[in-house]
Amino acid sequence: MAQVNSRAVDVINLMHYSLLQTDFATGTMAPTLAAALPSVQFVGDSLTHLDYHLRDATWDNGRPVLATDVAFTLKLMHCPELPNEGERTHFSFIRELLLDPADPRHFTLVCRGQAPEYRLDSGDFPILPENPLDPTHSLRQFSLATLQDWPRSTAPAPAVAALVQRYQQADPGHHPERLAGCGPYQLAAWEGNHSLTLQRKKKWWGDRLPTAPLVLQARPKQLQFLILPDDAAATLALRRHELDLYPQVSARDFQRLQASATAHRELAFYSGPSYDIVIAGFNTRRPAFQDKLTRQALSCLFDAKSLLAGTQLGQGSRTVGLLPPTSPFYNDSLPLPAYAPARAVALLRQAGWQQIGGTWKRAAQQLAFSVRYRADETTFETVALQFRAAAAAVGIPVALRPTEASTLTEALRQGDFDVCVRKLKGNPFAFNFLPILHSQSVGEGNFTGFGTPASDRLLEAIAAVGQPGRKRLLLKQFQMMLQKEAPLAPLFVLPYRLAADRHLVQVYPSGLRPGYSAATLTWAATPSPDH
Amino acid sequence: MNARGPTRFASGSAYWGAVAWLALVVGVGVLGPWLPLPYPPATPDLAHIAIPPGWGNSAAAHYFGTDPAGRDVLAELVFGARELLTLSLPATALATLLGASAGGAAGFWGNRGLALPLAIGPLALAAGWWLLALPYWLISSIILLIISFLIFIYQWKFARLGPRRFAGVTLPLPLDSLVLGVATLLSAVPRLVLVVALAAGPPLSTSQLLAVLVLVAWPDTARLVRAQMLRVRVQPFVEAAWASGLPEWRIWWRHALPHACQPLWASAPLSLAGLIGLESTLAFLGIGLLPTTASWGHLLGTLRQEPTAWWLVVGPGSALLFTLLALQEVARQLSGLHSSKEYFNKTASDVTAAHLRTKIK
Repeated sequence: MAQVNSRAVDVINLMHYSLLQTDFATGTMAPTLAAALPSVQFVGDSLTHLDYHLRDATWDNGRPVLATDVAFTLKLMHCPELPNEGERTHFSFIRELLLDPADPRHFTLVCRGQAPEYRLDSGDFPILPENPLDPTHSLRQFSLATLQDWPRSTAPAPAVAALVQRYQQADPGHHPERLAGCGPYQLAAWEGNHSLTLQRKKKWWGDRLPTAPLVLQARPKQLQFLILPDDAAATLALRRHELDLYPQVSARDFQRLQASATAHRELAFYSGPSYDIVIAGFNTRRPAFQDKLTRQALSCLFDAKSLLAGTQLGQGSRTVGLLPPTSPFYNDSLPLPAYAPARAVALLRQAGWQQIGGTWKRAAQQLAFSVRYRADETTFETVALQFRAAAAAVGIPVALRPTEASTLTEALRQGDFDVCVRKLKGNPFAFNFLPILHSQSVGEGNFTGFGTPASDRLLEAIAAVGQPGRKRLLLKQFQMMLQKEAPLAPLFVLPYRLAADRHLVQVYPSGLRPGYSAATLTWAATPSPDH
Repeated sequence: MNARGPTRFASGSAYWGAVAWLALVVGVGVLGPWLPLPYPPATPDLAHIAIPPGWGNSAAAHYFGTDPAGRDVLAELVFGARELLTLSLPATALATLLGASAGGAAGFWGNRGLALPLAIGPLALAAGWWLLALPYWLISSIILLIISFLIFIYQWKFARLGPRRFAGVTLPLPLDSLVLGVATLLSAVPRLVLVVALAAGPPLSTSQLLAVLVLVAWPDTARLVRAQMLRVRVQPFVEAAWASGLPEWRIWWRHALPHACQPLWASAPLSLAGLIGLESTLAFLGIGLLPTTASWGHLLGTLRQEPTAWWLVVGPGSALLFTLLALQEVARQLSGLHSSKEYFNKTASDVTAAHLRTKIK
């Protein structure tokens, strides 16, 4: 269930369907396995009931997709020792799934809180089949809330432990064929570090639909994803027609391709705002970063304006927090973080640091640290180099530690870093920051280790609030709190850029991952016009 | 000294051109931090990313352009030269030293010439057991240490009392097989593959990368010196030294080794060229070095991000090419000088005779 990296989602969404998935044509969530968007019923002042009906979908063996499969998936998500920390926290608002004895395709999700986003957010996880993974239905004896509240210090129940062991032995992360989904594609070939080939299923339940909505269309007979080591190799492959579509093109390659007359004849270019934000995170568990003044001081050493201009060639936008400026909840009364070395020095002094012999010291501590980032990301390297140079100018030694992607994720999870530069993915549907900033997510998705009782309360309130006016107020408070506490420094919102063969239509470019609709891609006789 | 060698040595204009270029590289590398460069290394100029060389009136012009991260190419070139002095040159020196010592010792003593006290055997076994964390490593290591200690005490005590069985037993060290075995093992894997395997993962510090380069570079030197030592140790002057009763360490160090190392004058520049090429390849591939470490290879590697930036090839490419050619020219000249048979024989006999005279006095 958990993805080793975010790009795995691109493939997983084609093999496994969720209740709701992104409709790239409209930029909203649309029912996929669900027959319609869930109906919402507020219960009292703290609960929400979401009523779902499933489509007449089937697994590959002909068994229907039932509410019990949804319940099983949610429970599996909360089984201990499975690497689902992010999803576990994200979907912790779903406390129970009520089955309908009269209709096996009907169920109700009981959610804690009354956030309007629950309607769309509650269905965004791939549904797994219960029978192949749990033929004895051993998870049915546990309620979802029981699994969610299971103490971390207590060993899991024997039935749960056995299921977890079976799941781990099946190793579906490396053997997806052992975990068939109800999506239209199946893995046909996987060449490590080279390519993934997905084949359209010959017999798929979606073909029976008289008029399939966009999210249930699966046009290409075969999709091949090439794993290319760097931007230059990908650009070359695109120009040699070895690639038909190239998402997340770097700013310079995109500009170069656009400037090329040949490329312009052959390729269509799409760009726009995305929901991905480049941030610098401080490990607040480190003694030097435990006080907010030090974190604020170091945040002043990031030159976000120049970095945006230099790395994204002016595309994208700066932001005050974790919401893009296009969001209706953006706090435009806050000033954009400014590059201010002099202010950084003043804040460091205020935090108790003293410059002695060219180094900053406070009691027995010395202000010297390292910055970790993904080794293959030029943007992150430029951010790290700029920060290092700015820090050196005020007398702070900074070492750079570029790290391979999966090693970095593990290091961040274990708190083995001082400062990290990374990308946070967002979407316009939900404002749930619990997985990345709540104190209960420390060691899971909350890499910075930040969390105070006040910030936890605020995040919980944001995740559960129902009234739009109140939500706006809380989100503005959240952005203010983020600037004040500075557990992370938001640098800029990335743009999305996509280049595709001009004969490829129904691309539906989008700021949401993966940036296009792979299942609707079609070849057209005439090239598409300029965008 | 042979009069013909230095004359030929000094006459080549190519040689002097090579020396001048190497002197320039060394000078720039040594004086790098004090040169009036417009920009420091590893510092991005975000307003000027991947711009071509500019010679405008601006005080902050990028004379050699910038790379895709906005780093000044001139500063990277200067500090890349410094990297040669702090990495490739010491690596060559250390690899030569290690290779010459190991190869010279292996060739001189062979497999039976060097014997160690018997107590060393269990001691080495204990160290190996402990390092490899074999089963029951703690108790096994302690037992072996005790055995080693007992052997030492026994031999020491009976050596004082007089010859006894077992008291004078030593452990012959198969030095030649050991050195050749390790050298063959390291050479069995292509050098680049071995270095990539060792340097893959988190970037290494300069000293760690230095150790990796030394590790892969010493076997060539060791084999060369060993082969030369096999010839030298049967030369009359060495036999004369044995006959005069000189201690074997002295014969090895003062008489045999200097002559066995003569070919290194020609091979060391080639080793240096090889290591510079290897370090540049690693940096080009983005392996081993931190992004803050200036390197010509790293600068060349940034071309992948900006394929149209010709200035990223011209500067570091030319510097690398000229340096490698210069080292080859120097090696060629030194090889010509030291391959003179007369030079070798005359020098060898002169030196040995001088030492022998000193000894006889």
